[in-house]
Amino acid sequence: MPCPTDKLRTWLRQFGLLIALAALVVGLSIVKPTFLTFANGINVGRQISINGILAIGVTYVLLTGGVDLSLGSLVALTGVVAACLAHPGQYPTVVPVAMGILAGAVCGAGNGLMVTKGRVAPFIVTLGTMTVARGLALVISGGKPVSNLSAPFTAIGSGDLAGIPVPVILLLAVTLVSWVFLRHIRLGRYIYAVGGNENAARASGINVDGVKLFAYTLCGAMAGLAGVVLASRITTGQPNAGVGYELDAIAAVVIGGTSLSGGVGGVGGTLLGALLMGVINNGLDLLNVSSYYQQIIKGAIIVGAVWLDKRQES
Amino acid sequence: MNARLIAMAAMALGMAGGCNRPDSSARHEAGAAGARPITIGVSMMNLSNEFIVMLNQAMEDKARELGVTLIVNDAQRSAEKQVQQIESFIVQKVDAIILNPCENEASSPAVDKALAAGIPIVNVNSETRSAPTAFVGSRDEQSAQIAMEYIAQRLKGQGKVVMMHGFMGQAAQLKRDQGAREVLARQPGLKLLADQTAEWDRAKAMTLMENWIQSYGDQIQAVFAQNDEMGMGAVITLEQAKRKDKVIVASVDAIADALQAVKDGRLDATVFQDARGQGGGAVETAVRIVKKQPYEKQLYLPFQLVTQENVAQYVK
Repeated sequence: MPCPTDKLRTWLRQFGLLIALAALVVGLSIVKPTFLTFANGINVGRQISINGILAIGVTYVLLTGGVDLSLGSLVALTGVVAACLAHPGQYPTVVPVAMGILAGAVCGAGNGLMVTKGRVAPFIVTLGTMTVARGLALVISGGKPVSNLSAPFTAIGSGDLAGIPVPVILLLAVTLVSWVFLRHIRLGRYIYAVGGNENAARASGINVDGVKLFAYTLCGAMAGLAGVVLASRITTGQPNAGVGYELDAIAAVVIGGTSLSGGVGGVGGTLLGALLMGVINNGLDLLNVSSYYQQIIKGAIIVGAVWLDKRQES
Repeated sequence: MNARLIAMAAMALGMAGGCNRPDSSARHEAGAAGARPITIGVSMMNLSNEFIVMLNQAMEDKARELGVTLIVNDAQRSAEKQVQQIESFIVQKVDAIILNPCENEASSPAVDKALAAGIPIVNVNSETRSAPTAFVGSRDEQSAQIAMEYIAQRLKGQGKVVMMHGFMGQAAQLKRDQGAREVLARQPGLKLLADQTAEWDRAKAMTLMENWIQSYGDQIQAVFAQNDEMGMGAVITLEQAKRKDKVIVASVDAIADALQAVKDGRLDATVFQDARGQGGGAVETAVRIVKKQPYEKQLYLPFQLVTQENVAQYVK
């Protein structure tokens, strides 16, 4: 259980990140007036939605002290599964969406079972799943993108409700539910307990394996949701999609103040982390910074933001 | 509960399996005609890429037609793996090798080793610094020239263009960049407003296009994307922003999705690269070399511009 100083620390972490984010936004607005407009805000929201959903999912796993490297491949696999079921006149849209999420959840549960019952290190388990899921995506699709998707399915990625894009609404919903769950639901608190001190958690009667299995399964399901959103947004199921997405997602979580060793952090910071990465990307494109320099600047800003965070903390 | 989940997953995969195309087997049994069938070792750059898959299928079809055996390996974009695969072909004493090089420099040792072992090697689609026995492919610069010239013609030589690059530093990106810039140099009225990489990726191209619309708005009159995936991303974003009628989009590769989009009047033009001609030509050339028949040392297949007028002949 967190003591008051822990709470203060968490607040400071998020506060430090907010300062970095605010500085970026102010700077970009001065240099490029088109940055600070409602339309661009919507753009950034849409652009971070997939990474954001993945990052929220992997926050659960990182909080237990684990890691999930299979996310990018799961995005491809679940996107292909959904796309295969989303041709016009095939099934109602709920079927491809549900099956995409389910396929992700099953792969996540597989990860969780190998980690808990199999006692294999999460890094290795999810590295294996990364390759297996990519292979499955290629087998199911025959190595080619699955196109010709129904209009209701593609509306998930391109549609909006009251001017807010559907992917952004999904990201906000997932964040809000996770925030409540991790703070106020017993199973959510157990996730922190397991990540903080596994032995203590076990001694106090928590079903550690069950909690971990839950975290990996949920993370897989979120990857499934992200895969569905991506397939819908790009109007195809791409077996090659999502390469490296796991690293962007983990980066967003860590920037957001969640510890890689588990037990500390939360989804609020993760959302801010994803937002920071999205703003950097958007800003550099608006400024037409050369592709070579973009990579250098992105890396430096990510490390800089975490560094600023740590200084706030001490 | 777990059993039920697994059953449902199996169901999901089973339903999805509906779009699986039958996997072509790597080895073909040769016709009974010859004494010992000709065996050709093939190392493909990356069998997760749609165009390379098409190229490979063309090779398999031609091999079946000619009654030769293919051993197909996937180098998965790794030149180092590619060199290993050629080494193992040499040990297996294949009659000829077809190399679809991952990289210009780094795949060159594969060519050197095959030639040193006295095995003829045919490069297909991309080149290596070391000269092979024969080359079958296209000039990648030309594809970008054709697309950019189409844009120039549509804009009557006056207008502002943005360009989406592939993965920076890859041969295809460098050559398509070069080809596009040659046209821009010839057309002083065309101005390159911005250029940026979207790494051959549709989702990244959508993000980039959104950001460009935000930045340049109505100034953008045409988009040249170095592959169709990115071109499709630009089209989708422009459609969502309700600007597609004001912006011309042209890209390269003529993948199925892009051809359909050209047919539907969404994508303005794509450039067709002849996968069947290249794949079939490579197998045919290899067989001719083995049989000591005359062959073309360098077979260049031209790119073709595909617009709504001629798209029908490319859509299956």
